[in-house]
Amino acid sequence: MMDFGFSLAPSSAINLDTVDLSRYRKLLELEPDARICMGCGSCSATCTAAPFSGMSVRKVILGLQRGQDREVDRMLSACMLCGKCTMVCPRGINTRHLILSLCRICADGTHKEREDGR
Amino acid sequence: MAKKKTADTQVAIVGAGIAGLEAARQLVRLGYDPVILEKSDRIGGHVADWHCLFPDMTPASRLLDDLTDATHDLRVICRANIVSAGRLGDGYNLLLQDGTSIHVRAILVATGFSLFEAEKKEEYGYGVYDKVMTNADLEHWFNTGIDARITGQDVRRIGFVHCVGSRDVKAGNAQCSKVCCITAIKQAIEMKEKFPEAEIWCFYMDLRLFGKKYEDFYIGAQRDYGIHFIRGRVSEVSENIDGKVIVKAEDTLCGKPVKVTLDLLVLMAGMVCNRDNHPLAQALGLGIDEDGYFRSKDNIASITASDRKGIFYAGAATGPKTVPETLAEARSAALDIHAYLSAQ
Amino acid sequence: MIERIPGAFHPFVLPFVFGMVFVLGYCLIGMVRIFFELPREDRRRFLISLVTPKTAWKNIRDIFLNCLIHVNLWKRNRVLGYMHSSIAFGWFMLILLGHVEVMLFLPHRVRFFYYPIFFNFFVAEADATIQGQVLMFLMDFFLLMVLSGIILAIIKRFRSRVFGMRRTTRPSFLDRVGLYSLWAIFPLRLLAETFTAHISGGSFLTEPAGQLFHRFISNDMHVLPTWWAYSIALGIFMVVLPFTRYMHIPAEMLLIPMRNAGIKVRHPRKGFAKLEYYSCPNCGVCIDACPMSARKENLKDCTVYLNRQLRRGNELRIEQISDKCLLCGKCTAVCQVGVQGPELRIAQRERRAFALAPDYGGIDVAPMKAAVAGKPARVLYFAGCMTALTPSIRKATETLLQAAGIDWQQMDPDGGLCCGRPLMMAGRKEQAEQLIRKNVEIIRASGCDTLLVTCPICYRVFKESYPLEGIRVVHHSVFFEELIRDGRLPVEYTSGSYVYHDPCELGRGCGIYEEPRAALRRMGVLHEAGKHHAESICCGGSLGSLTLGFEKRKDITLNALKNLTVNGPETIVTACPLCLNTFGRYADRPVEDLAEVLVKHLKTPTI
Repeated sequence: MMDFGFSLAPSSAINLDTVDLSRYRKLLELEPDARICMGCGSCSATCTAAPFSGMSVRKVILGLQRGQDREVDRMLSACMLCGKCTMVCPRGINTRHLILSLCRICADGTHKEREDGR
Repeated sequence: MAKKKTADTQVAIVGAGIAGLEAARQLVRLGYDPVILEKSDRIGGHVADWHCLFPDMTPASRLLDDLTDATHDLRVICRANIVSAGRLGDGYNLLLQDGTSIHVRAILVATGFSLFEAEKKEEYGYGVYDKVMTNADLEHWFNTGIDARITGQDVRRIGFVHCVGSRDVKAGNAQCSKVCCITAIKQAIEMKEKFPEAEIWCFYMDLRLFGKKYEDFYIGAQRDYGIHFIRGRVSEVSENIDGKVIVKAEDTLCGKPVKVTLDLLVLMAGMVCNRDNHPLAQALGLGIDEDGYFRSKDNIASITASDRKGIFYAGAATGPKTVPETLAEARSAALDIHAYLSAQ
Repeated sequence: MIERIPGAFHPFVLPFVFGMVFVLGYCLIGMVRIFFELPREDRRRFLISLVTPKTAWKNIRDIFLNCLIHVNLWKRNRVLGYMHSSIAFGWFMLILLGHVEVMLFLPHRVRFFYYPIFFNFFVAEADATIQGQVLMFLMDFFLLMVLSGIILAIIKRFRSRVFGMRRTTRPSFLDRVGLYSLWAIFPLRLLAETFTAHISGGSFLTEPAGQLFHRFISNDMHVLPTWWAYSIALGIFMVVLPFTRYMHIPAEMLLIPMRNAGIKVRHPRKGFAKLEYYSCPNCGVCIDACPMSARKENLKDCTVYLNRQLRRGNELRIEQISDKCLLCGKCTAVCQVGVQGPELRIAQRERRAFALAPDYGGIDVAPMKAAVAGKPARVLYFAGCMTALTPSIRKATETLLQAAGIDWQQMDPDGGLCCGRPLMMAGRKEQAEQLIRKNVEIIRASGCDTLLVTCPICYRVFKESYPLEGIRVVHHSVFFEELIRDGRLPVEYTSGSYVYHDPCELGRGCGIYEEPRAALRRMGVLHEAGKHHAESICCGGSLGSLTLGFEKRKDITLNALKNLTVNGPETIVTACPLCLNTFGRYADRPVEDLAEVLVKHLKTPTI
């Protein structure tokens, strides 16, 4: 069996056979428009948080589908929710809602609700 | 065979762009005497404003001259505005705003497109910054050499932004305009020829170079002219103290934000449906698609046919098209009209 | 005046007594609970305000004007105003005068709290004296007043459009029980007093009616049944009251003093928030007012439904309604109780748990501080995120600052941090505070005395939440209007005509309505929109909504545009980059920022 070397150095490549898409699927339930991103990069270029963190909604959506969850979490925690990406998205994706939805989905896929605000 | 010309066999062609003129030329050959109704005060449509046409760099004027030569005997009514169209016998009675009434047996809708108003993409600063122009402005400069945005030989860094008002629901136009990718490459090459020292960047989302010789153009632009292609949509444009424009995008292939300072930024304003489609569709009883263009009977075998008897389409009235596609469709529509009139 | 029933008791009073005891007990316990749910400092503040003469007097005045006279409702809709105040004020006067009668004639009966309510049953020949006659007259007068209100209420129930309300809420089952018992109370009282008029005496209403009835039916036979029915209707109304919309009556009486004490929503469900949603009278004025109502499927996303779901504890709907709202604040502007829809929603959003919380601690602001400290200027201009996407505003602002000879610099020429308002709207207050601290550092480093902003979203958070003592925070519409008035920005009057759109955050959010209009009037004809000032309609682009997608906002924007263009202005003018962007997409005429209009009218253009 030829595995193109993926079993030798798995961290340097993306293996679509083993990628865990559960978070992406959960996101699609909350924000189905995540599907229609065409990767133009408008959101990343205009992002207020990008200069400080490399935040990119485009990469977040892509990363989720390629199993790069840790990188996705890192980028998400830099977002300031300013709404510029939503303003410029040529496909009209509600990127703010997409980000907030993702922040609600834990890395392990569970959904916590705090008992009390304070 | 061709019928003899009679007042009765009149065909009205709405729009004196290349689609209307080409159809008129073919109809004359078939023995008809079409009347052309044009809303502006001149013929030639958008092509009249263009300099050279891809892929052979044919002067636009040559194409137009051929078309006007073949149709100069025809009756052309400029500044025409169809107020209403009523069924009359087996034809239509068209009423114009000045009270003129024309009885025709067939109508060809060749109203073309409108150019996207680049100032609507506010973040690109068209009309705000001194060094931002559109593809149409650039063609105008090619033709006349007059434009305050291009002065002397100091144009060293030029940017082209693809998809301005195309594939953009925020701009109200979700579809691809088809011609901007190749037009941008054409104009980039032309600029490089005028300013050999210049560095040129094309910011694209996807390069859609589908037509004959288009790919050659692309390869030529890369190999012979050294034009840079960056895959990323420009998101913001600002201006520095010297009046140069600073463009910000993401280089999506590299995954990093890029900025570049430019002496000139050209916005490839796309094709949008003709702004006057709605009133005309109402007057003629035609359907309009979700994208604002006229609705064909079907989009494969009967693009030139409408839902109404005796009314036909040609060119960009039904969607973005290239010049050769438009001309081919005009000929096809002329034949359809001939078949329709012959069968009556 | 003779006491007719010696023991001052009759079993028919029992339903009323039971209802009264129940409702008083319920409200008292509720008030105490709400009070103790407040944070400690709010409790202190509230108690102090109660004994401060100024706020105490304001409380009494506000309760009288709002709960009894319904002045706010009068301003909106006179018929509705009359309807509510005739019932509330009339009923109040009936109760008050009942007590006056008892105190005047039978002071030893004051301790029977039902006595004033059923006064006419217990006495005979009450109209024997002049005072008695006057009081009887007043009682009949106010009863008539209440009855006229009830008639209007019945008409409104079935034909709400007559009252100018397109949409109202559907009452729940208990609401209906409350409603019908309320309607029944006063006709029954009229009947009871009518049948008793020949014993107790009456006035212009009850006496002739009694004589009329006497001609064909025996009044004596009907005396007891009608008093029973009256008492039962009262009893039912009071027993169901805590579970119906009528809870707003007692709740508002506590809401007013707490609001006057400056207490704010601090918890999504407890304390003041609970008081707010119990104070909602469910009238549904906010349904027509809500900009989202331009879409049929959003009709149930306005504040009245939020309040209803909060009372029912329907978590799913609470979340949907809270997240969808544009936070434009129009519901609060039209609400006669002043329920703070946006604040309630933000509190719900704050409650939400996120598995992943942003942290901006790693952002180094030293380069930004160094940049502004390098060339200190008196005015620091913060363009903000949105203005980066509307270069026309930024450039016009720069031109105007230049023209007026202002000593200025931009805080974020190379991009900056977000102001924090969008985070606040999303319920992430703690994260917003991180950004606020960092921005304050940059602002302080610049040494400016004025912070100029062109975006109302930023303006609001700078004003409300930034510790910027000594620095004036000013929106460009106000700043430039002052410069025009001082003659530093000479503008020309031309033939243009304008309509001014009040951005939500600037108008309702910060109370700035007149300065932009004053500036426009110096440059051309100013038209008003159909709804304007505090009632202007949100453009639909608001960052407040977390879940409304792009396509769904279109109808909201189109509706707002229709409202703006009713008087046929040539140009729509606004003072917010987000409104500009949103309107520009669909408008059929030019949309410009105030700064752009000013630049076009500058007498001596300087670059």
